[in-house]
Amino acid sequence: MDIGEKDKYELGKRDEHNNINYQAPVLSTDWQFGGANLTSAGMSLVPTTNPLAIGSSCASASLVDSFGSSLWEHPSNSQNMGFCDISVQNGASSSNAMEIGKGLPNSLRTSIDRPFDMGWNAASAMLKGGIFLPNTTGILAQTLSQLPADSAFIERAARFSSFNGGNFCDMVNSFGVPEPMGLYARGVGLMQGPDDIFAVNGMKSVSVMESQKSKLDATEATRDAGLRVENRAKTSPLENERKSESLMQPNEEVKQGTGGSGNESDEAEISSRDGGQDELSTLDGTGGEPSAKGLSSKKRKKSIQDAEIDRAKGGQTSTKTAKDSPENQQKQSMMINKTTGKQGSPASRPPKEEYIHVRARRGQATNSHSLAERVNFVRREKISERMKFLQDLVPGCSKVTGKAVMLDEIINYVQSLQRQVEFLSMKLATVNPRLDFSIEALLAKDIIQSRAGPSSTLGFSPDLSMGYPPLHPSQPGLVQAPLPVIGNSSDVIHRALSSQLTSMTGGLKEPNQHSNAWEDELHNVVQMNYGTSAPSDSLDVNGPRPSSNRKVEL
Amino acid sequence: MVTILISRMRSPFSLKQEFLKKWILGLQRCRSSKKNMSIFERKKVIKLSADVAVASARKGITCWSRALIADAVKEGNADKHLAEKILGPASERQPTEKVPVGAMAYNKRIRSKKIPKRGSVIRRTIKCAPQAARPSSIVKRLVGKRRQILRSLIPGGEFMNGVSLIEETLDYIISLRAQVDVMRSLASASKLVNLN
Repeated sequence: MDIGEKDKYELGKRDEHNNINYQAPVLSTDWQFGGANLTSAGMSLVPTTNPLAIGSSCASASLVDSFGSSLWEHPSNSQNMGFCDISVQNGASSSNAMEIGKGLPNSLRTSIDRPFDMGWNAASAMLKGGIFLPNTTGILAQTLSQLPADSAFIERAARFSSFNGGNFCDMVNSFGVPEPMGLYARGVGLMQGPDDIFAVNGMKSVSVMESQKSKLDATEATRDAGLRVENRAKTSPLENERKSESLMQPNEEVKQGTGGSGNESDEAEISSRDGGQDELSTLDGTGGEPSAKGLSSKKRKKSIQDAEIDRAKGGQTSTKTAKDSPENQQKQSMMINKTTGKQGSPASRPPKEEYIHVRARRGQATNSHSLAERVNFVRREKISERMKFLQDLVPGCSKVTGKAVMLDEIINYVQSLQRQVEFLSMKLATVNPRLDFSIEALLAKDIIQSRAGPSSTLGFSPDLSMGYPPLHPSQPGLVQAPLPVIGNSSDVIHRALSSQLTSMTGGLKEPNQHSNAWEDELHNVVQMNYGTSAPSDSLDVNGPRPSSNRKVEL
Repeated sequence: MVTILISRMRSPFSLKQEFLKKWILGLQRCRSSKKNMSIFERKKVIKLSADVAVASARKGITCWSRALIADAVKEGNADKHLAEKILGPASERQPTEKVPVGAMAYNKRIRSKKIPKRGSVIRRTIKCAPQAARPSSIVKRLVGKRRQILRSLIPGGEFMNGVSLIEETLDYIISLRAQVDVMRSLASASKLVNLN
């Protein structure tokens, strides 16, 4: 029994270390969120205006606000991806995220405001003061300079989300409008001035559908856009100059990133910033379209989405010709559309085909080599995106950079998880000689439910890499003892366990209806089991659990 | 599939619930086979039913889950009957939504590739060959090796290319974690039951 507890303790240590390690990414990303939220807070919030409302400063403020809030929504979702069942310290954030998830399909503003506040509270609650303070004191430019980093994460999450169809599509749709608009306003403000926002908003109705895809767009497009932004920063209107200033910094980075090596982080940075300015790229595409139509050589695999985009762009080009085109004429912008499965487009797309649409803009060589390079670039960027998610998931991976080390950690983690499964199955085999887990299943369900709170049932200690568990129980000393009526004993145990658990944990409650339904189902299972076996067999009381000489690497 | 990833991560509890339920059901199906199973047989049954339960909780959406179940009922598998019993009558089996060609090929393929021990591959120092002087190629080789190992770890991993490999890994890790948590809670519940 002691040994068994120790084993569990050690297993729990790993869990706790996981928890601890999870905190770090929470902190780091929340720090970024705090910056983004601060940005929105800095700009006067217009909580009630329709995001599509036009009014230059108002639009920029609301758009940036929506951008900030959508920043929060995205990363919180993806953060909670990493913290799926470890909500020890993340109880606040998970609850926030859940509410965010529920709130999104509602009206845009209310949902944006609510998670915004919650995000703010959660961020401040979860962050230690030291990390957060620099942000709170941050100048607007400083906070805005963090926006690209945030947008990096957002873009990852956005692309991750936009790759799918299904129930996430609604979410994407609902804030697909504010987010690209927010991002778009940022870029647009730099490049074209407030009257272009009108054009953008006018086009918004057409490009809502496209906004999903546009999230996927433009790695190089925004790279060029960034450079172009730099050129045109001087002409930007006053109210956007703050943004332009802050974006100068990331654009510098973009430039360096462009000129730099194919470092993965740079690429990810660029791609994420590009994704962050996806609407920018869209506009670039549209702006470039009229002038580039005759010259650009498009090479893409046709899809319905592309046709839509073209139609949308065709509609936009007429409005665009009146405005200045932001195009730097010698720059070519490339839109890379990666369309996967059910993106919300009409059903005529085969659900599983993946196209990598690479369109070469004017001025660029369209030989297969450069196109292949670009395709490769997209693929690498997607891979790095996924790796970032993995980074959040695997404990201890947030500090390491580079694919090899991260893959190492991932492999280590998967192997340790598999070993844990082996060990636990052996442990369960020793406990129960007849594979009868009816009572335990009921209790386990309770444990799972209450473990949503702080997991205190197991001991905590630093990370522990389990050696392969050579379980050699000396002898399964199982003692059969007659037990009272099963129903009574199970109730007693149930109550005792519940009291123990509730005293130890203060977990957050799952929706009761759901758990009750499941509980009923499990009860049926258990009853079925009772019906098939004699009562005296169901409960075997074990003697002291056989000691397991398990090698533990500390 | 990413939808599933994100939605699943937001509700790990339901995943665990489903897994537990399926697992208990599968265990029940195996109970009556033998009266006195050795401990190792029990362990095998437990593990197999757990794996099948976790994989079937995915309902055929992810490649690794399909590969895991396919491997369990493969012709050459010693425990095929056990797995089939756990899965229940064919009418109950989850219809797989997407059955790519790879999974079918996997059924027929004999899995002869031994899982290389991680230490034997990674810790082997890379001989400084002249052609590997460039750091990019070295990195590429390192990453490639690790990818290969990852492919060997994940069921059905041989069929996945770069991006899907990582997605599958993500899903697999989540499922493994849920599995471990449920098993652990069951073990602690067993302990509590035995205490009384």
